[in-house]
Amino acid sequence: MKNFKFLIALWKANLQAAMEFRSAFLTQVIFMMVNNGAYFMFWVLYFDKFKAVQGWTLQDMMLLYGIAATAWGTAAYFFGHFTTLAEVITQGRLDYYLSLPKPVLLHVLASRSIGSGMGDIIYGIGSFIISGYLTADGVLRFAIAVFTGVCIFISFLTIIQSLSFWLGNTVALSQIALSAVLTFSLYPSALFNASTKFVLLTIIPAALIGSVPAEFVRAFTWQSPLQISAGAFVFLLLAVTIFHSGLRKYESGSAIQVEV
Amino acid sequence: MTSIEVHDLHKVFQTKRKAAGLGASVRALFKPEYREVEAVRQLSFQMESGELLGFIGPNGAGKSTTIKMLTGILHPTGGDAKVLGYVPWKERQKLAFHIGTVFGQRPQLWYHLPAIDTFTLFGKIYELDDRETKKRIDFLTEAFEIRDLLETPVRKLSLGQRMRCEVAASLLHRPKLILLDEPSIGLDVVAKQHIRDAIRRMNQEEGVGVLLTSHDAGDLEALCKRVIIINHGQIVYEDKVSNLKRKHLTSKLVEVRYAQEVPANFHLDGVEVLKVGRYGVKLRFDTAHTSVDKVMAHLSSVGDLVDITISDPPLEEVIAKIYREAPTRMSRRE
Ligand SMILES: Nc1ncnc2c1ncn2[C@@H]1O[C@H](COP(=O)(O)OP(=O)(O)OP(=O)(O)O)[C@@H](O)[C@H]1O
Ligand SMILES: [Mg+2]
Repeated sequence: MKNFKFLIALWKANLQAAMEFRSAFLTQVIFMMVNNGAYFMFWVLYFDKFKAVQGWTLQDMMLLYGIAATAWGTAAYFFGHFTTLAEVITQGRLDYYLSLPKPVLLHVLASRSIGSGMGDIIYGIGSFIISGYLTADGVLRFAIAVFTGVCIFISFLTIIQSLSFWLGNTVALSQIALSAVLTFSLYPSALFNASTKFVLLTIIPAALIGSVPAEFVRAFTWQSPLQISAGAFVFLLLAVTIFHSGLRKYESGSAIQVEV
Repeated sequence: MTSIEVHDLHKVFQTKRKAAGLGASVRALFKPEYREVEAVRQLSFQMESGELLGFIGPNGAGKSTTIKMLTGILHPTGGDAKVLGYVPWKERQKLAFHIGTVFGQRPQLWYHLPAIDTFTLFGKIYELDDRETKKRIDFLTEAFEIRDLLETPVRKLSLGQRMRCEVAASLLHRPKLILLDEPSIGLDVVAKQHIRDAIRRMNQEEGVGVLLTSHDAGDLEALCKRVIIINHGQIVYEDKVSNLKRKHLTSKLVEVRYAQEVPANFHLDGVEVLKVGRYGVKLRFDTAHTSVDKVMAHLSSVGDLVDITISDPPLEEVIAKIYREAPTRMSRRE
């Protein structure tokens, strides 16, 4: 509860900072909505030709984009340092968070807001609304899917980037992980074979963000919500554990860079 | 009451040697290469609550590393420390409610926001209620004379103005102890004075303990009652500032001008003649060995004095001498 108040205060500060550059913020938001729409055109053309692939229709793709974009956008807008954690660690910028009396990981993540995330959120919700799954029950399932999606996005990238406590600069690795999870979350897993599916459910948990939750919103089964909640829980637990054991290794930084 | 207790605190950094790029990351995962740096070595000291303690030492002495361990930012390699009864790296959050920190080289205030917004945010972070936060901000803006600066985005403040806001922010939650790492770095004389005055006032009025690191002997003279000098991660000197002055500030610099020309062979036993000009001399002597009386008598016997200045050498020199005399060992192990 106390931590929730604190999050609200942080988000307010982020918003105040964004308002210092109002027009840049608005440009980012609009650009991202247009950008997402342009990507989606591919599927419009695709389904125009094939109608349905393994039971997936254009409507389902809208749903999948809706969930993944909203989840991504929420993570980016409210927990923006989840894409830049490795830099924060290697540049010694955790000092600030470590000298304040709040949970470090939560504090870092929520201290940055990526403006374009708001564009993703608006696009994602819009995409969900026109997908045709807009019922009371569908909204609830959409909300659950988005929530677990946010957890998994953030946890996965936190795990990868926490490696920089041990390895030094892992910004390159993080970038790859980021684009992999983002790209694959936007494909229906029906398109992949069994072993790829396995990878996408575990090592790069993209399917847990996109297609499995989409299945769950399409039709209620017990399997998919269990899968995504268990996935979200395990990833979250791993992220927190790995980050905190990394903190023991944290070296801060006095602008010392050893180039070899 | 002791507020800081440190025993054999030790920190070895293992600097990773790694080239940039993905391939190197993977290789480093299996076969890391390290270079070790002993930043702090078996450091032990105590600090009383409400004390004004200065931590002085040359670049790389281990000052920042020590402060970072005492705030729980870094985990030590060995040794113990208690700050206000907490082990910093184990009870970081609890400790953070009671201490304030300022890192001169690493601003805490949000860069794009006016200081007042960060103050308000800190109020929430420290779980103060809104009325209390406001009252405290009012008090601090007066004490640090920052009323006119509060509404300006921090990026538009001068360094001196920003630093005053930084120190004020660290006092928002009425900490019992503040740790300042080079609060005066890069400031001009006036700005330094400003900050020192405000810190001294907070110490007197609220009994805040102050541990501060600096390169500037002026900070020490103006603020601290006690000094710890460290070099290569070890304490090389520890005493009251007044004792430091009494024991080490024993030499005097004297400059005189005469109405007549000065004999070129000007000489006096026990006095080091630094310069002989046509009408004046400059000399140094140690009051422990040569009496002031004797020197004065000799000076006036040489001719008619027109002007005389007697001064202490800067504390800087004294400290530099202590560094030089302290046993030095290599701070790096390959
Ligand atoms: N993150 C780090 N990784 C590796 N070595 C470090 C790190 N931080 C500090 N060191 C080394 O530890 C030693 C002590 O550094 P520290 O920053 O504590 O010195 P300092 O007394 O604060 O110096 P300065 O007056 O220059 O700020 C130095 O030799 C420094 O190179
Ligand atoms: Mg330092």
